[in-house]
Parts: sequence; structure tokens; C-alpha cells
Amino acid sequence: MKSDEHLIRAVASGDDNALRELFRRHSPWLAARLRRVMPASAVEDVLQETFIAVWRGAKRYGGEGVVGAWIWGISRRQAALWARKNGRPEAEMELAREEDPAASAAAKADLDRALADLGPGDNASGDAQRELARLIFVEDRSVADVAGLLGIPEGTVKSRVYKLRRLLRASLMQGECR
Amino acid sequence: MIENHPDGAAHVANCADCQARTSLSYDALDVDLEKVWIGVAAEAWASPASRPERIAGSLLCSPPLARALATTPSLFLSWILATAVVLAAGVLATPISGEPLPALLAPALAGAGVAYAYGPGVDPAFELSRTMATSDRMVLLVRVLAVFGVNSVLGLFASLFTDYSVSITLGWLVPMTTVSALALAAATLLRSANAGILVALFAWGMVVSTAFARTDDYATAVTVSLTPFYAAATVALVALTLYATNGKREGLSWR
Amino acid sequence: MEVNVQVAGVTQRFGRTEVLKEMNLSVGTGVFGLLGPNGAGKTTLLRTLATAINPANGSLRLLGYDPADTGERRALRRRLGYLPQTLGYYPNFTVFEFVEYFALLKEMPHERVRPAVAEAIERVGLEDRAKSKLKTLSGGMIRRVGIAQAIVNDPGLLLLDEPTAGLDPEQRVGFRDLIRAIGQRGTVIVSTHLVEDVGAACSEVALMNGGRIVFRGTPDELSARGETGGAGDSPLERGYTSILSGARA
Repeated sequence: MKSDEHLIRAVASGDDNALRELFRRHSPWLAARLRRVMPASAVEDVLQETFIAVWRGAKRYGGEGVVGAWIWGISRRQAALWARKNGRPEAEMELAREEDPAASAAAKADLDRALADLGPGDNASGDAQRELARLIFVEDRSVADVAGLLGIPEGTVKSRVYKLRRLLRASLMQGECR
Repeated sequence: MIENHPDGAAHVANCADCQARTSLSYDALDVDLEKVWIGVAAEAWASPASRPERIAGSLLCSPPLARALATTPSLFLSWILATAVVLAAGVLATPISGEPLPALLAPALAGAGVAYAYGPGVDPAFELSRTMATSDRMVLLVRVLAVFGVNSVLGLFASLFTDYSVSITLGWLVPMTTVSALALAAATLLRSANAGILVALFAWGMVVSTAFARTDDYATAVTVSLTPFYAAATVALVALTLYATNGKREGLSWR
Repeated sequence: MEVNVQVAGVTQRFGRTEVLKEMNLSVGTGVFGLLGPNGAGKTTLLRTLATAINPANGSLRLLGYDPADTGERRALRRRLGYLPQTLGYYPNFTVFEFVEYFALLKEMPHERVRPAVAEAIERVGLEDRAKSKLKTLSGGMIRRVGIAQAIVNDPGLLLLDEPTAGLDPEQRVGFRDLIRAIGQRGTVIVSTHLVEDVGAACSEVALMNGGRIVFRGTPDELSARGETGGAGDSPLERGYTSILSGARA
């Protein structure tokens, strides 16, 4: 796997596939961070502006510090712009304070329902997904940890979780429409 | 584990493990990252519109026609510069040769440019272009007018530097129109820009050499007395172009 | 069901040969497969529906518009997607520029053009070649570029002439998913000589021969016609050959 530093240099030279890889690595955790202080549609706008800025400004990354931190810095500035424009100074404050509100009980209940939607209990793939979801979301284990427990490579865990995340999102969005 | 991995953003930004874990967080499941990527990709993949294209877009009130102009080979800067160089050489050689060279060159140059206004090269996506909301005829018309306009301006500018009478200086505008119409008719009929150029250059060469054979003076090809002949030919050629771009006509080269 | 395509008594001639013979056809939403031997008139029918050629006789009504009327034709063309049998292209355009050019010519709202182009490129799986010049692409990739420009305006009527030519089996599967998705809301008409494409992706099939439609039904009905005879390796192929030999007799 190529390092973030390698990727950002490729982005600076106009490689859009490197940008995609950076997006794939960093957008999920950035989204989760931002989502705590702003609505989903605003997170989408902020992330889009962030990665467009990464594309245009990759040359300005001088190798100081970690790439993830550099991108997070851009995100925070974009989020602050959004907060000011929409009269939400508290969002800016919260970003600054880096609070971490634990997932609420209601959210947990929704999650349980979404997990139940994954498939019937006798379904082998549904079982595997629930097991993965339990380890990651409920027990809050790291990817390396889960890879060790399940005896599969970390890359596989990541790609499975990526798929799982999509399934859950679809299920949750359906729930909203019901 | 919690001690080793504080949840502050500053730490998460540096820690791949925490990034992976945070990204699984349920809070962000309603964020559509695929849609976000589409927005990012649109910016990363698009070539920025050039300044002339943006100006043309606001003048014509039509982004598709502006893009059509921006992709016309004979409106590329390199093509226009080449035309200007040829005319400049004509201006310099005029006192030596004793002939109004810019006036004789301008129709040929405009004809070549107009033939190449027929799409990038010859329009290979012809079949597709004719099914578009902005019709292929409209695209062709705007391209031809733009090329013709550029060539007229260049030709007039070149004429300022030769001391021939006004009738000769302006006399070439009429044959230039005719040669351009011929180039266009041949290019659209034969579906080949190069065929258009060849036909136009050959015809103009014939006219000039016939003029010389008859009167011992090349410049008679661009005198006002020939205007009715040129005008009639232009009308006929425009009609031929309209026929060639008609939706009912099957292409000669198609299948 | 909404009738998106209505063909009434349409005849098409090239020189003295009649390529379409007084064709009548109405098609609603869904994926509609056109089968038939070479020279049956599939391409001519698609070119007529795409407004690339005007019918010699008869009338058309497409997405509620009359293509014989200039204004209505323009409105119709904004909602059309068309992949010609042979796609000419500009070798120095990038994938993005090519799809964007046709999105512009289809007169999409200006601010929607770029995201729509990016999405179309993703949908045909060319995201890693978006900035490549067309002259560097393989035949199968060019085919997918052609599909991308056809779907970029989210067409109500999508016409695809041999879209799977040059695609590998995996890409064909992806392509079928794509047209099924578009067929949920609009009409997709696909001509193909691959009978298995029809079975997998089409809700309805027509079989053409000699400028006429000689069979119309579901893929299952086509298979059923092969039970009594006909050569081929699959039920669909046997149905196809049995109807064709009947039509020729």
C-alpha cells in the first residue's frame, strides 16, 4: 500500500487516481468527525470543498506533519466557513473543542434494527456481517484487533466494513422513509 | 487502549487505527460519500474552460456553441498565427513580385480554415452530432462564421500594408466568400476536411491562373467585374451545403 | 403504462431497397431487446428513433413529442440517449471532455453538466481513465465512453446499437445492471446479436427479419417457441432460430 505522503505527491502532479485513494482512506473518518457538529448535507458540502482544495492545493503540502492532519486542517477551515455562513457558531466551537459525544441510546436502537435488516439468522453471510458489526460498532475494537480475532487480513476487514457501512446506511435511510 | 488512543481530532488525524475506527462510527452513515466523490471528481477531471470560450459563451448565450468554437481546429491560436504569418509573408513579397499577394492568398487561407471548421478534422462523431438538441447545422454555421470573420479581419489588416487600389483591396472579400463556400460544400458533401481544402485550393488556383492567361495579370481574379459570377457561385454552393447537411441525406461514407 | 415509443406505418428506404416495411411498434418503460440477423433493419430502426434519419413514410411519437416538428424535436433530443453502432470520436479529447461535449450539446442545465458527466463515467466504470485521451483507450473502453455519453442526461429514451460489442463478460454483467436500472424509469431499446444478453437484461424482446417485426414477447415466450424445434445451445437460441426459419419459409 502506498503511503499518504506518496499519494499526495502524486496528486500534486495531477494524478486523479491518487486523489481517489486519499478520498477513500480519509473521507469516512472526516465525515464521522464532522457529522457530530453539522447535518449530513453540510458534511457533504464541506467534504467536497475539502477534497477539491486538496486537489488544487496538493503542491502546498510541504511534507510538514502527517497528511491526515493536513487534510483535517482544511476540513476544519471549510467547516468553520460553513458555520459562520449559516449562523452556527456553536458548531465552530465544538469543532475546536474536539468533543466526542458517545452514541446515544436511540442511535444504538436504530443500529440494532438496521443490523436485524441485514438478513435472517440462518443466513451465513448475514451472521458474519452481524459478528463483524458487533466487534466494530458495539465492542469498539480496532481493525487490527478484529483482523486478529477473525484470522483474516486487515485489508479484508476494511473492505468488508466498507460494504457493511453501505448496507447499514441504505437500511437506515429506508427506516427514515417508513 | 483508550489511554493509548485519545479521541481528540488531533490524535485521530495522525493515527490510521483510529481513523479506521472513527470512520465506522454510526453517526456518519447518512453522509453519502459517493455523491461527495462525484462532486470532487467533476472538478478534478474537467479541463477548465479557456477565457475565449467563456467570452464566447456569454456572447452567444450558449455553452454548447461556445465549446464547439473552442474545439474548432481552424480557430486554434496556432492556426490563426499560421494564417497571419502567411499573409505577412505576402505583404513583404508584394513589392518584389508586383502582385497583390495578400488579396490572392486570403481566399485560399479562408477556404482552408472553413473546411476545417467542419468539426475537429472531419467530424467523426457525425452520426451522434446530428441527434443533438443543439443541431449540427447550427454548430457548423457558428463555426464557419467565426472562421470567416477571423480571416476577414486578418486579410483586411494585411491589405492595409499594400498600396493597391481600394477595388483590389476589397475585391478579394467576394471571392473569399465564394472559395469558403466551395470549401464548405466540398467538405460536407465528401465528409472530409482535407477534400474541402483540396477542392478549394484547386479551384482558386484555376481561377487565378485563368485570369493570368487571359489578361497577363493575376489581379484580375479579384476585380469587381467578376462579382456577379462569384455571387452566383456562392449561392449555389450554400444550397449544396444545405443539401449535404440535410437529415434526409444518407452519408456517402456511411457503411 | 406510459407509451414512450410509438411507431406508426414507418417505412425507410435506401435507394430502392426497403429497409423498414410499414413498421408499427409501441413500447413502454422497461428494457426492450431487438434481435435479428444482420440486415434485418435493427440499426435503421434505432437510427430512425434517434432522429438521425427522418422516416420516408409514416409517423413517430417519442416521449410524447413529434420529431417532425423542429421545436418538439429539439425538446425530444434533450431527453434522448443514443449509442450508434460505430461511434466516431475525437482522438485528442479526454474521456471527460468527450462526454461533457455531448452533455452540453444535449443542452443540460449548465450547473448540472460536470457532476452528471462524472457520474456517467463512474457508472460505466471508467473512473480511472477519466483524464485519458480517447486515442489511448481500447475498443471496449471506447464503447463504454459511448454508453457514458448516452446516459449522461438521464435519458427517458435510451437507444443502444450493439452496446456489448467489445465488452468482456464481467463488463457485460455490469452493463446489464446499468440498463435495468435505467429501464426502471425510462425506455431502453437495445439491439444485439447476443441472445444471452436479451435473456438476462430485457423485459421484452422483438425479433426482426427483412424490415419487419416477426415476433414480440417476453424472453420466456421466446424460449417457449424453441420447444418444438430450432437449432441452438440454449432455449432462447432455439426459439430465435425456430421463429426465423418460420419467417423465412
